[in-house]
Amino acid sequence: MLNIALPKGRLGDKVYGLLEQAGFACPEMKEESRKLVFENPSAGLRYMLVKPSDVAIYVAHGAADVGVVGKDILAEGHYDIYELLDLGFGRCHMCVAAKEDYREDPGRPVRVATKFPHIAKNYYRGLNREIEVIKLNGSIEIAPLLGLSDVIVDIVETGGTLKENHLKVFEKIMPISARFIANKASYRFKGALIDSMAAKLQEREETK
Amino acid sequence: MVSNMSLKKRMAKEEQLVLSLSSLYEQYSYEKYSMAKFEEYSFYSDNRKFMPGEGMIAFNSSDGRLMALKPDITLSIVKNAKMSRESRTKLYYNESVFRISDETHDYREIKQTGVEVLGDIDAYAQAELFFLALLSLREIDEDFVLSVSHMGIVAHFVDGLALPVETKKQLIRCFSRKSVHELQSLCQQHEVAESVCDTLTGMLSLSGRLGDVLPALRSLCCQPEMTAAADELAGLYHEIKDHPLADKVIFDASVVNHIDYYNGLIFKGYVKGAPGPVLSGGRYDKLACRIRENACAVGFAVYLDGLNYYYPNQTAKAVDVLVLCEGSAEGLLAKVNALAEQGLRVRVEREQGGIKAEKVYRYEGGKLSDISC
Repeated sequence: MLNIALPKGRLGDKVYGLLEQAGFACPEMKEESRKLVFENPSAGLRYMLVKPSDVAIYVAHGAADVGVVGKDILAEGHYDIYELLDLGFGRCHMCVAAKEDYREDPGRPVRVATKFPHIAKNYYRGLNREIEVIKLNGSIEIAPLLGLSDVIVDIVETGGTLKENHLKVFEKIMPISARFIANKASYRFKGALIDSMAAKLQEREETK
Repeated sequence: MVSNMSLKKRMAKEEQLVLSLSSLYEQYSYEKYSMAKFEEYSFYSDNRKFMPGEGMIAFNSSDGRLMALKPDITLSIVKNAKMSRESRTKLYYNESVFRISDETHDYREIKQTGVEVLGDIDAYAQAELFFLALLSLREIDEDFVLSVSHMGIVAHFVDGLALPVETKKQLIRCFSRKSVHELQSLCQQHEVAESVCDTLTGMLSLSGRLGDVLPALRSLCCQPEMTAAADELAGLYHEIKDHPLADKVIFDASVVNHIDYYNGLIFKGYVKGAPGPVLSGGRYDKLACRIRENACAVGFAVYLDGLNYYYPNQTAKAVDVLVLCEGSAEGLLAKVNALAEQGLRVRVEREQGGIKAEKVYRYEGGKLSDISC
């Protein structure tokens, strides 16, 4: 049985659609229900729907053999997993953004509001720049507007929300997209099946 | 008396393994090595990169020195064990290491067992140790894989590239994550020559039974050090190839380790029931030389932590005889003693509840009656 962790929501729906087309269908997934685990015993597949930020945890701990997760989640955590494929969708960037008229004061640490403290610390450590991190859980864009922080480190897709709030991107830290990941032990024992799943996902992505 | 075999069957997986692995290492004439629970903090902090990225538990000794509960065994053995380049010291240990979890920030005591060979290490000594790693994994689970690589292949090649240190680290991270896409994007970003990128991609994609991949591995070796490393792996394979366990050895370039410490063979063992590596080891002359001049060392550790969870012992809680006694217990102790002296595991309760037992007796009026279904 191959256990597949998918993020609940649009990304999970999209990935399931791809997997279904690639021959990894589980008809139960299409039924209206509040179930979180779906099985296709004849195909040896079990899908589980989990919170997007938890997919990598399920895979790292072996509760799922493979999963699909955003690069932002992988970069923020320390997960000992294989990152086998860039699925190429959900593309955006992890960015440093601030008010349009922001000018950095080099005489003091930068105050950074973010949902991604580890990514922010790593980025500024690379610049040898001292920062004060303010960990937020949502609506990050408000922080510089209310004087809570100088800048934000957050995911930017189109930049629309930033623009509407008179913020702009100052630096791009890294590109973000959905990644196909595998548990390292599972890969040793189910490697052929995992590789074939990855290859079929890649084919689908390349033909688009 | 309960027989040793029966007792072992009821032991938790970790305890069973301590016994069976100790016996295995004794068979190959490794000597048991015991050590103190703590060392000076600076000793570990100087070699921090050698240890997993978890914090240490530090405290002050009575004379004001900063000490740490041992977060690693190998370092202490290399520092304290008697060795010389002319003779061979073969040791095994069953010890606990103490760390602070990065994830939960809790203190953790982790049981480890392992072997180390110090001093005069030739091809035989290394092959014997590698074979012991295979046998150790088989003790945990018949279904296992030992992934192997060599520092002279990936790490040596990456280290020789004219790239910033941080980029080299990122390249190594691509290997440990099997991320071809990240590797290629990094090469593109740093304008790495196409031929170099192809070699890296070829190495990363190469995986399979050691015996099967050796020709392909040799064809990727573009430096004498890499060829020597491939030859060493071939020599190792030659020593074990006739044993059925040889099929369990997989070449896997995603097995990488710190180049400042390891200098040769590296390996990680996986069993089907556990989600991460349960065994890790390799040749670490560079680390040994940091601690003692001209030292050579090879070894591995078996991580027992968590195996009780992944391999629960279903028979651990079962008893041979359950005696139910609702009324007076007068004279019962003598009856129980008589059963225990027959080597049976006996438990007395008022009612059965969920207790599993081979036989169930009722004690009434000074007599035992068999009421097993």
